[in-house]
Parts: sequence; structure tokens; C-alpha cells
Amino acid sequence: MSETTAPPAQGPARNVDRPAVAAAPRRSWLRPLLLVVALVVMLALPLYVEEFWLRTGFAVFGAIVGAIGLNLLVGTTGQLSLAHAFFLAVGAISYVFVSGESGGIGLADLSGLGWPPLIGMIAGVLLAGLAGLIFSPIAARLRGIYLGVASLGLVFIGQHVLNSWTSVTGGFNGRSAPEFSLFGFTFGNTDPDLFVLGVPFREAERLWYLGLVLALAAYLFARNLLRSRPGRALQTLRDSEVAASVMGVNVQGYKARVFLVSSMYAGLAGVMYALSIGSVAPESFGLEVSILYLAMIVLGGLGSVGGAALGALFVTALPLIFQRYADVVPLVGGPGEGGLAAGEAARYLFGLAIILVVLFQPSGLAGLAARFRRKGRDPGGVRPTGHSSAATSSSTSNVPSDRPAQGSTT
Amino acid sequence: MTAAPGAAERTRPDLPPVEVEHVSVRFGAITALSDVSFTVEPGTIHAIIGPNGAGKSTMFNVLSGVYKAAEGQVRFGDARLDQMRPFQIAGIGVARAFQNIALSGTQSVAENLMLGRHHLTKAGFIAAGLRLPRATREGKRHGERVAEIAEFLELGDKLHTPVGVLSYGDQKRVEVARALCTEPRLLLLDEPVAGMNAEETSRMAEAILEIRSALGISVVLVEHDMGMVMSLADRVTVLDFGRRIADGTPAEVQADPEVIRAYLGSGDDISPSETADAAAPGDHPSETPGMHS
Repeated sequence: MSETTAPPAQGPARNVDRPAVAAAPRRSWLRPLLLVVALVVMLALPLYVEEFWLRTGFAVFGAIVGAIGLNLLVGTTGQLSLAHAFFLAVGAISYVFVSGESGGIGLADLSGLGWPPLIGMIAGVLLAGLAGLIFSPIAARLRGIYLGVASLGLVFIGQHVLNSWTSVTGGFNGRSAPEFSLFGFTFGNTDPDLFVLGVPFREAERLWYLGLVLALAAYLFARNLLRSRPGRALQTLRDSEVAASVMGVNVQGYKARVFLVSSMYAGLAGVMYALSIGSVAPESFGLEVSILYLAMIVLGGLGSVGGAALGALFVTALPLIFQRYADVVPLVGGPGEGGLAAGEAARYLFGLAIILVVLFQPSGLAGLAARFRRKGRDPGGVRPTGHSSAATSSSTSNVPSDRPAQGSTT
Repeated sequence: MTAAPGAAERTRPDLPPVEVEHVSVRFGAITALSDVSFTVEPGTIHAIIGPNGAGKSTMFNVLSGVYKAAEGQVRFGDARLDQMRPFQIAGIGVARAFQNIALSGTQSVAENLMLGRHHLTKAGFIAAGLRLPRATREGKRHGERVAEIAEFLELGDKLHTPVGVLSYGDQKRVEVARALCTEPRLLLLDEPVAGMNAEETSRMAEAILEIRSALGISVVLVEHDMGMVMSLADRVTVLDFGRRIADGTPAEVQADPEVIRAYLGSGDDISPSETADAAAPGDHPSETPGMHS
């Protein structure tokens, strides 16, 4: 070590010629190219594809936003939450209340503020964030599965409120969601009538673009977050809370903040869900929705932003596709026919897929994609293998664990 | 404040001593540390030794705020370490390298080291998520310093490798590098050479000496490798069953009859060439006296 110099005293980094040290790993030009192609295809899709696919697409975009948010909490930080459905509900209800009109529909006497839908969307995100903030002191003090159990209560509280606070939520039957509009441009079938290259751009086409923009923004924000200071802190506190705190990370503060961010993502996803279905009802925000979101991120890959998106695509689109092609898909029957209902069939498939993922590909669809990418580049493949310590072995599988602290007591 | 013998040529002027006074730690009925006192003089390398289960790592956990002392005080200048939370202690320049490697295996070496810059940087969720220019600039600036420190610990060519695939010796060096990345005034090294071979051990020893002399910081060392302790340390505190049984220069401690009786019981000699088979990761404390676990 005689030829190396000791680290210079604290202060701004010196300008030293440092060949190759700071050089980032070799980047292929293929990846950005593929991204651009994918984006162009996504942008052009409404010109060629029928309404069913666009509506499915918007539902998927909404789920992507929610799954990315949950993955920040569960996959990246190792905090289990079963309350995602609750925060989706807060977002959705806030939107329909803030932007919906007052008035009576049938028995229910609904109240609404009738504010612009953009305000309603922002309110949905902020109020979900507020709900997350109120719960975050609990989230900050619990870890792993204990938080999961504690958060379960929120779903039941949510169900009760949704069913009983009729003037805001519409009660058991729910209430309809107002059309989205942006500075006078409605995301509906008309007003203004719109044709692009001779193709009528109606509600489905317009919502597709809205969803694309929101999902892309959610994706980029999360990815930037993970690649920088807060993301590193979150990942380290997943692997070892003691190490993170000793390195200067305020563990409780970060757990509270990631819970807040996650609930805001859920709030936006809730607003998008309301727009996608056109109405909100209590049954849309039950415990099984939380479970489906967990299925998305486990299938997609815990801790991976792209994985969350893939998982959301798989879990959201599959039942819809089964439903549409009930006559073609074996064993699946349409409503009122024999055979499995589409939703059930999809659920069996998720169950099977989750078992397969946990057994053979713990890093999920994202890990599968990464494996193929590596195969193309170098056959050896660098793969993290936790061979030396508990800290690394738990983190390579990315499974959140509530292992006790790492500090040794020797 | 007087510099102890062997202190760095230029100890940092703002460097206070670490004063551990009558510290006791209990876990239920078990007393892990009982009335332990010692002082780490500024700019010295201070070793804490003792058989397995003597309370060495417990002492470290008290110094870094992970455990709370039931009694006693730990002072670092004006700061009362025994009353602060771990991240606050890191904020005043106390860094620790873990015995059982506590790195994030999926993250690269650079990312693990950047965590050491956490308390020196500011980018929050919004600045990072939106990639605001100040967050990007900050990351870049600190990335350069991280690369320097990695180079110093011979990790320069592994910056972008996931820590999980590195060899054990490399991972131990990443631990030390991460602690250095916090720009510490007090560096706590918990068995930095445990499990390393002789070659790696001597390089690590050189690195520790260079860290002390170049940065002028204090180093507290828990170590099983007697040769390393005796050649590096300016002062040695010996613990046994949670009590301090000796405190002095390496020569004094080696000659202390109590140390020889309690610590070396079986008649082992403290010879510089000896390499104790240091505790493997995940090793559990056992109450057997003697250097070999």
C-alpha cells in the first residue's frame, strides 16, 4: 500500500487524474434505443388499437403507479404494508368528492365541491399523503411484518367509512367519478371533438395519454429516488437498520417519509382507478386489492421500479383479457356460462406464478429480464451471491426480512 | 489537551478525547459491561481487547449509540454520546466499521460508500426524485471523494461491482472505506482483519496507520489479532467478563499479571506473530476465556 496515498484531509475533492476509477460501467446504446422505440409505440398505439386495449392500458397505468409506490415501501425498504387499498380509497374518494357535484342520486344525498378535476387529482394525492403522514409515526416504529399487521387495521377502517359516510362516498353503491379535464380540455368523448390522422380521439384515447404521462412520471421519480441519497439510505436500512443508523441515517425519519411517499403514490393510483372505472365503490378497496398489489411487486421483483411496472401489467391486464377472450381461453367461461370466471382463472394463475417466482426467480420478472440482458452481454454473468454474511444473503433475494439487528454483541 | 505518545504528527486541532466513565450495560439479568472507564486520547490508536464475551462489541455499541448505557457517561468533547441516537453520533464525526459485515449486498461498492456521505449531503426525497441540479451536483462532488477513498483501500477497480460478489477480504475493506467516507474524527473499527489472511492483515494494518497519521483522527480498535494490536495500538484497554481489568501501553498490559491470568489463562504467550482465529461472522459470544474461540 506504500504507493497509494492516504486520503487527503477533509474538504472539497481534489482534481486528481483518476483513470478509470470514476468511469461508469460500460453502457450499451441498445437500451436507450429500445426505450425510445417503446415510447414511440406507446404514443402511436391509440391510432391503431381498439378501445378495449386502451381502457385496459389506462387501468394498467394506474396500477403501475400504485405498485411502484408499494414497492418503494415493501421492496426497497423492507416494510410490509397491507394498507395500500386504504390509501387508494383515500385518493379515489378525495377525487370524486372534491371534483364531483353535489346532488342526489337515488336514495343517496351526495355532496361534492365541484372543483376542477386537476385540483381533485392533486387533492387525492395530498389527502392520501396526509393519511399516510398520520399513520407514519406507527410506520416509523415498526418493521417488516409487524407493520403489515398494524396496517391491516386501516383497510377495515376504510371499509367502514366507505360504507357509512354516504354523503361523501356514496355508501355501499358508491358514486360516479367526474370526467377528468385539464384547463378546459376534457378527457371525455367530446368537447372538443378530436381527430388525429382520421382516428377519432375519444375518452379511451385521451385517458391513455394521461395514464402514460402519469405512469412515466411516477416511474422516473422513483427511479431517480432509488439511485440517489434517499434511495441508498432506504436500501441499507432494509438490509441492516443498525448499519444505516450508525452511518448517519435517521431510520425512523426515513421509514416515516417512505411511508408518506408510498401513500401518495397510492393516492394517485386511486384517482386513476376512479377515472378508469368511472365510479368508486367500497368493494374496490378491500383487503384483496392490497393483496393483489403485493402480488404485483412480488411477481415483478421486489425493490425494482421496472419490476413493479411489469407486475402491475401482468396482474391488472390478465383478468381483463381473460374476460374478453373467455370463448377462446380454455377452461374460462364468460359471465353466466360454465367454467371458471375470468377473475378466478386469473387468480389461480397469479397463485401459480407467485409460487414459481418465489421458488425459481426470487428477483421476479425484473430479475428474469436482467438475466436475459446479461446473457446477451457476457455469458459468465455477474450475479450477486450472498456468500459471506447474513446481510448480503438476505438482500440478494430482496425479500424483506425482520431479522434482528446486525450489531454484534460479542 | 496533551497528545499521547505515538499520536499523529498533526492531530486535528478540533479533536477532543473520548471519555468513557463508569459505563454499565445490562441485558435483563446479564451485566454485559460493569463500571468500565477509559479515555481515548486525541489522535491515538486505542485497542480494546479481551476474550470472547468480554464486552468489547457491547462497548462499541455504546460508543455508536446502538445500546444505551444503564449507568455512566460517554463524552466526546461537549457531546454526550450516551444520550444521543446513532445517526446523531454519526453526524458529529464518529464512524464505525462492523465486525459482521453490514453492507448492502445488492448495491455496488460506490453506492455503499456513498451511504457514508449521508450526513454530509442534503438531497431529500423531492430533490432526488426530481433530479434537481443541486442534488446531481452534490452526488457528483461526493462521488469523487468516494472514489479517492476507494482507491486508498485498493477498491478503485471494484467501485461498480455489487458488494455481494466481492471476496470476504474486499468486503471487510469496503466496511472500513464506508466508515472513512463519513470523514470521521473518531473511527471505530470492530475486528477489521477478522478472517483475513496474513497478507491482507498487514496491508490493513498499514492502512490504519496511514489513516491515523494522514487524517490525524482517533481510532478505537477491537481486535483478536494480538500481533496487530501490540504493534498498532498506543494504548490498550483489556476487558474480561464486562469489567476493565487493565489499561495501559501495550508493554504494560502484556506484563500485567491480571491480564496474563484472566486473558491468557492457558499460558499462551502474546507473541507478535500470533494470529488468533478471529471470530467468524455470526459467531456468538461464549464465555470461555482464552484467545482461541
